[in-house]
Amino acid sequence: MSAPIVEAFLARIYVDAQVRARFLSNPTAEALNAGLSHDEVEAVKQIDQVGLELFALSLERKRQRQCATRGRPNHFWRKRRA
Amino acid sequence: MGVLAAAAVEEGVVAVEADRFGLGWRPPLALEILSNLERIDVVEVIADDFFNASRSQRRALKTLAAQVPVTLHGVSLGLASSVAIDRRRLNLTARLCEEIRPLSWSEHLAFVRGGGIEIGHLAAPPRCDETIEGALKNLSLARTTVGVAPQVENIATLIDPPLSRYDEATWVSEIIRNSQSDLLLDLHNLHANATNFGFNPIDLISRIPPGRVRGIHLAGGKWVGKGDVRRVLDDHLHDVPDPVYALLEEIGARTEPGLTVILERDGDFPSIESLLNQVDRAREALARGRARALRREVAA
Repeated sequence: MSAPIVEAFLARIYVDAQVRARFLSNPTAEALNAGLSHDEVEAVKQIDQVGLELFALSLERKRQRQCATRGRPNHFWRKRRA
Repeated sequence: MGVLAAAAVEEGVVAVEADRFGLGWRPPLALEILSNLERIDVVEVIADDFFNASRSQRRALKTLAAQVPVTLHGVSLGLASSVAIDRRRLNLTARLCEEIRPLSWSEHLAFVRGGGIEIGHLAAPPRCDETIEGALKNLSLARTTVGVAPQVENIATLIDPPLSRYDEATWVSEIIRNSQSDLLLDLHNLHANATNFGFNPIDLISRIPPGRVRGIHLAGGKWVGKGDVRRVLDDHLHDVPDPVYALLEEIGARTEPGLTVILERDGDFPSIESLLNQVDRAREALARGRARALRREVAA
């Protein structure tokens, strides 16, 4: 298995909704395009789709939470001294 | 070995290392943790929170470490990958360890980036020979850079990792057996994966040599999804559920004292009393397991 290529492919379908949608509608084309071998393509066609959607959703929600709190200064140490 | 320990060995005295219980250090909890140190043996600090910390913040962390034993926990190295870990983050971890001299440091058996893309969360890699080999190389580099091997934590996953050759128990135990890293066993992660993918969590516990479990994480989560496609999400936003305490009791029955048990809570914080009560429940569960083992030993 070309593990680095597989990891890069998984990272893409986890975080990029467009790539994920293309993969779910045509897994063979998207996986071959990403450089996966024929055996790897056959394996990712059996992907746990429920898990993929739920994981992608949890990542999206985590990003939203981080955006909401980004830039909020951490004043804990200052408060403690006060 | 220290002078006292050497003398104890000489005289046949067996020193039993105590279990330690504590909380994950989070800024909103900081003041209340510091006000309740008589009920907390240890705090776990997220290493990544201090990679870009100011000098005064790092000084404050050293002050904290002087008040209470600290463990360091990393979240972004990406140890379980066929790709080498990020050297910059590893060097920053090494610097932090040098500065605060934690009891231990730990990271996850996860990949967090691939092909230049940051996933933004811990992801389960394909459980195969390539990622075992990659994890072992990364662990070796981490150990030589920091000077001490990290404990490694099993992660929760909502997706059954594709292209896997091994089940989780086999994959994790292979990494533990072939490295110098001990296991930081996250019992809620184990509970979530066992629930989501239909395996017995005891199978994984029984595959790890008892002496190689050195840390425990406790947390809570919630169900996500709908109807038949629901899964347990480990979100660290809920109280520790009963099955996790049951697993902790099982750990108590199978391991030697000296574990560090940390309750992780990342948000929706309840009162400190509620968190400390969960820490107390953990003490009781582990003690029940220890008592079971003792009874078994006496009976044998």
